[in-house]
Amino acid sequence: MDEESYVVKFLGIPFNITNVVSGLLAMVLVFCLVWFLSRNLTLRPKGKQNVLEWLIDFTNGIVSTNIPGEQGKRFNLLAFVLFLFIFVANQMGLLIQVIIGGKTLIKSPTSDPMVTMALALIVLLVSHYFGVMIFGVKGYLVNSYMRPVSFMLPINILEEFTNFLTLAFRLYGNIFAGEVLLTLIGSVAKSHGLVTTVVALPLEMIWQGFSIFIGSIQAYVFVTLSMVYISKKVEVEE
Amino acid sequence: MLSHFVIGATSGLYIGDLLFYAISFIILIALVKHFAWGPVTKMMDERANKISGDLDYAEKSRNEATDLAAKRQAELNKSQTEATNIVTTARQNGEKQRQTIVDQAQSDVTTLKANAQKDIVQERADALKSAQDDVAALSIEIASKIIQKELNATDQKALIDSYIEGLGKQNGAR
Repeated sequence: MDEESYVVKFLGIPFNITNVVSGLLAMVLVFCLVWFLSRNLTLRPKGKQNVLEWLIDFTNGIVSTNIPGEQGKRFNLLAFVLFLFIFVANQMGLLIQVIIGGKTLIKSPTSDPMVTMALALIVLLVSHYFGVMIFGVKGYLVNSYMRPVSFMLPINILEEFTNFLTLAFRLYGNIFAGEVLLTLIGSVAKSHGLVTTVVALPLEMIWQGFSIFIGSIQAYVFVTLSMVYISKKVEVEE
Repeated sequence: MLSHFVIGATSGLYIGDLLFYAISFIILIALVKHFAWGPVTKMMDERANKISGDLDYAEKSRNEATDLAAKRQAELNKSQTEATNIVTTARQNGEKQRQTIVDQAQSDVTTLKANAQKDIVQERADALKSAQDDVAALSIEIASKIIQKELNATDQKALIDSYIEGLGKQNGAR
């Protein structure tokens, strides 16, 4: 996991090519998946259409439990894409790791803090944008920072940062740790020939299974918490 | 390895990644919306509408069917009453007609009987008359034969008639 990444400076802005390429791959995979699933839609769903509708119902369920009513409907698409993207990104590193010349080219994009912070930032911006759009600037400030009482203001402001950071690093930490352990087990397998390989193989399999589980749970948790944070901004707390 | 835990410790913040992810994520959302989300949610809405419409329609149809059944029952009862009426009327008519025919026949019979009686009386009178004439002629012939004299039938007729009358009376008295 400690391999170097390609870093390219473009217009003075540093780009981590590893993140760009693997993120792009994850997005292409997500798009291909939904594109494939949404071909030949019929009024009576069958086969793959059922899968897609189940996914949509699942993410809609996450949204509607946190943001009830009509208000939540506009976040359905965001939750759907966010969930699919994080899910695919989490599982990607378990299936493929492309390392060229000692530099990683493809891994789980979510095992990099910049990527998870980018996702958290999107959620953060969306929540503030809709907070302002629904309540106006003044209402947004009152609703977001002065509730339940005005002396909570510093804590509320601090919470904005902690929410953002915990949202990003929870995902990053889980996926990164999973990959670290996978790499460690992999290096154990290679260390002392056949004996360690035989020992490490079931360990690797168990950990990979567990990582799949963690990846799914984290995608769910990320989307759920995103919706919780958004609901704090777009709904009046009693 | 430690570099991963300390953000940007070695190669700085990859601000480019933030930009790249933000932009490409928005593009991904747009693509997904256009190619999958839009059509699928439209289809799901359509289905929901269709199901609720079908349920309404079924409800309406059931009500209509119930109404129709009630109406049919009412019609059936009505037609039954009508049929009973018709049969009753027909029976009454028949009865009346029968009575009329029987009355007609009776009166006919009475007339016929009266006529026949009159005819018989007439016949008897005629027969009696003709027998009277015959007897008169016969008597004249016999008398003329006896007295060898040509009697004027017309002159003597009154006499003979009175004679026969007397016979008749004698017969009647007897």
